[in-house]
Amino acid sequence: MRSLRREPALLLALLAVIALVLVFIVYPQVQVVVAPGSGGYASFLEGGTWVTPFVHSLEVMALSTTSAVLLGFVYAYAMVYSDMRWKPFFRLIGILPLLSPPFVVAASYILLFGPRGIITYGVFGQTPIIFGLLGIWGVQTIAFFPFAYQLIADALSRSDARMEQAARNLGAGPWRVFRTVTLPLSRPGLGAAILTTAIYIVEDFGNPQLIGGQFTVLPTQAYNLISGFGEFTSAAAVSTLLLLIALALYLAKIRLDGGRSFVTISGRASSMPRPPVPAVLSWACFSGSLVLAGVILMVYGTLLVSALTVLFPINLAPTARHFTFVVTGSNGDALRNTLVFSSVAALVSAIFALFAGWLVQRGDWPGRRVLDFLLILPAAIPGIFFGIGYLTAFNQPWLDWVDRGALIILSMVFWNIPVGYQAAVAGLRQIDRSIDEAATSLGASRLRGFWDVVRPLLGGSLRVGFVTTFVRAVTTLSVVIFLFTPATTVATIRIYQLVNDLNWGGATAFTVADISMAIAALVIFAALARGRLALGMARG
Amino acid sequence: MHLRVSHITKRFGSAAAVDDVSFDVPKGSFATLLGPSGCGKTTTLRMIAGFYEPDAGDIEIGGRRVNDLPAHRRGTAMVFQDYALFPHMTVYDNVAYGLRVAGRPRPERDKRVNDTLTFVGLGGMGGRWPNQLSGGQQQRVAVARALVIEPQVLLLDEPLSNLDAKLREQLRVELRILQRRLGMTFVYVTHDQDEALSLSDWIAVMNAGKVEQAGTPWEIYYHPRTAFLADFVGAVNLVPARVESVGDGSVTVSFGPHRASVRRPVDVSLSTGQEVRLCMRPESFTIAPAGASANGLALSGTIARRAFLGDTMRYWVKVDDREWIVDQPDPGATETLDGAVLLSLRPERVHVIAES
Ligand SMILES: Nc1ncnc2c1ncn2[C@@H]1O[C@H](COP(=O)(O)OP(=O)(O)OP(=O)(O)O)[C@@H](O)[C@H]1O
Ligand SMILES: [Mg+2]
Repeated sequence: MRSLRREPALLLALLAVIALVLVFIVYPQVQVVVAPGSGGYASFLEGGTWVTPFVHSLEVMALSTTSAVLLGFVYAYAMVYSDMRWKPFFRLIGILPLLSPPFVVAASYILLFGPRGIITYGVFGQTPIIFGLLGIWGVQTIAFFPFAYQLIADALSRSDARMEQAARNLGAGPWRVFRTVTLPLSRPGLGAAILTTAIYIVEDFGNPQLIGGQFTVLPTQAYNLISGFGEFTSAAAVSTLLLLIALALYLAKIRLDGGRSFVTISGRASSMPRPPVPAVLSWACFSGSLVLAGVILMVYGTLLVSALTVLFPINLAPTARHFTFVVTGSNGDALRNTLVFSSVAALVSAIFALFAGWLVQRGDWPGRRVLDFLLILPAAIPGIFFGIGYLTAFNQPWLDWVDRGALIILSMVFWNIPVGYQAAVAGLRQIDRSIDEAATSLGASRLRGFWDVVRPLLGGSLRVGFVTTFVRAVTTLSVVIFLFTPATTVATIRIYQLVNDLNWGGATAFTVADISMAIAALVIFAALARGRLALGMARG
Repeated sequence: MHLRVSHITKRFGSAAAVDDVSFDVPKGSFATLLGPSGCGKTTTLRMIAGFYEPDAGDIEIGGRRVNDLPAHRRGTAMVFQDYALFPHMTVYDNVAYGLRVAGRPRPERDKRVNDTLTFVGLGGMGGRWPNQLSGGQQQRVAVARALVIEPQVLLLDEPLSNLDAKLREQLRVELRILQRRLGMTFVYVTHDQDEALSLSDWIAVMNAGKVEQAGTPWEIYYHPRTAFLADFVGAVNLVPARVESVGDGSVTVSFGPHRASVRRPVDVSLSTGQEVRLCMRPESFTIAPAGASANGLALSGTIARRAFLGDTMRYWVKVDDREWIVDQPDPGATETLDGAVLLSLRPERVHVIAES
């Protein structure tokens, strides 16, 4: 602490970070939580309207998490343990859903299985009722198993291959090694993966909103209360309930893995080689992965075909008219907004998170544990709650001079802080403290040392933070759904509106455009990472 | 005094890592903090550098109290054990960093960096990256980077400990020459007593957060104040004895059947009947076959074991009920001894430690 007082600039910077965190992370959330007041909570609880969506949310969470984790596990096991072929292909397919708004799975599902779906109606001539619990369950399973796969694969590949080799050398068979060595070793990681998947699912707004029908869950209930009835108080109470569930899951997860894992996009090389598995298991892995990859391809293939045809599935004549529609007029503005908002948000978020991570990781001031917690807290905050928080706190007459685009950017910046923050902390752990101290002892202030030495060395963390935040920003619906205005609409909002208008061609073309942005960001990222690799080799 | 450390204390939790440590280092001298692992050397050095905040006590550099100055304003520079070279900068940029921060103009910077690199034997290597250098070269870059800013005090934390023995010895000599030539004040931390003895003008031996004794290498080696110290700075025979009488400048002690009149240690009060320990270095003895004539104090015994150390032959000699360690220099010049031997020792080579 005294060391801070000796460097006023550093102290100021720290105070600024704390102020920003208080204003943009703590204050809006507190606003929502206290909005109903004790009387409001009492009548809300008595009113009982919360019971049904609450139970629904838990039901959906239990069912979808179980199935998503099972499928994700199959894919992850196949990727990490088997020596099946086509792994690069499967890896690419596995990343695709991370680059798209999860709710487009619901859109695709309607196109395939809806009343006029190509399979239900086109093939079987049926117009089944696909909405409700079964629909949500199916859609969320497909939408989130790729996330589960990423988290589980990460947990599995952290287990030490040498231990498995050792167990094999001692005569244990592959299944036995997996059961007695791998599983126990990766249990915390797996538990954390399950809990993280559960958070994604329980917070999901878009899928239940599109195909839930009468079946409301907490996020959709909160949205409907505000947009349909202007019932702000009840909505705040409902989303506080949702926050409690997410927070409980998140705290359990932190206990398991210390708050590490996050679906980040990193350039991590493939893991260590594992002991070989029997050929038959490899084939089973291959078949399973092929089916799952097929499902993913069907989901996105449907969207792509719909975007390129006149009226899917009735008129399959190719056309570019939907893309023309997407890039012109207010739609074009929405696309541009997406790109601008997300780029600015990702840049600001990654740099701010890096600096905050450095302050926390290298600091010796009291209260840094609290700041640490606040910086990872948004990971536990449902997007819908975050959006309501910003709506409550900042959509005020006295703030009318603020550009609404700025508000959207701010919400994206701070909702995604944990991404860049965790990347920064992980990066800082790789850099010995003596590197910072060397700069200081040569006459640089701590801030100068951060800029000259730490920042360039954390380029990798910065890129991971930037790209992941960018992708999350272009794909989020729930955070921005309360914040947009006609002039500051973004792609996900337009997709949502167009689906509601049953303009499928426009919606799917928008989706393709949106996903393309995410893919482009990832490709650039990969190119940059490779560039650094090449440079490193030239130097080494 | 150029660097003055007075009564500094640093606690981590409840345990004091450094406990009321004071010392002074004159300008231009090579001072060493020596002690076993965990005794608080690094902590002391880091308090001087400004990386740790002392819980109590003052630090002065060049007559100015620096407690309230941040690390980068103290005029200290540090050489780290793992060198902490900036991996994303070339050797030149690493060395130039401090001058760049200080806003030195480019021509001056170029000249000083190149001079310093030449000075440490790395002329022409400025374009390399740190990972293209050997451990010894990296170490030199780390030293050059700190030297070039001409700090008031250069702090070095075990800078040689990651190198192999041969290189360590070579760089040790170079460091000493460098320091002499520049007349810069060095504070050096090590747990290696050979390093400390050969490099330093002055040594403070630390133990459990305190300075046990400070003085010239000579004083530390031959006149340690405690048994811990005697043992820590080299092989030693520590023999329990009794004070028989205290004279002027000398003291008569007895151990077993032996009696000797030895030098009386300064600054220590001794009284008749007090239990003390005699400290005798193995190389202070002469060893000869039994029956040879003794020179000073004579002890007869038999050889229990011996070890050939190259430059000396070390014998463990059983005298009465104790084993004594005795070194014989240049073993190739005489034949190896066996059986009964006579040890002799001049009384002034016996040092009394007033601690039983
Ligand atoms: N940052 C810290 N937090 C808690 N305890 C510490 C910290 N730094 C040092 N200590 C403790 O303080 C004591 C002194 O540590 P210090 O690093 O000064 O020892 P040292 O003499 O440099 O040892 P070595 O020769 O092993 O480097 C040790 O017991 C150590 O465990
Ligand atoms: Mg140390």
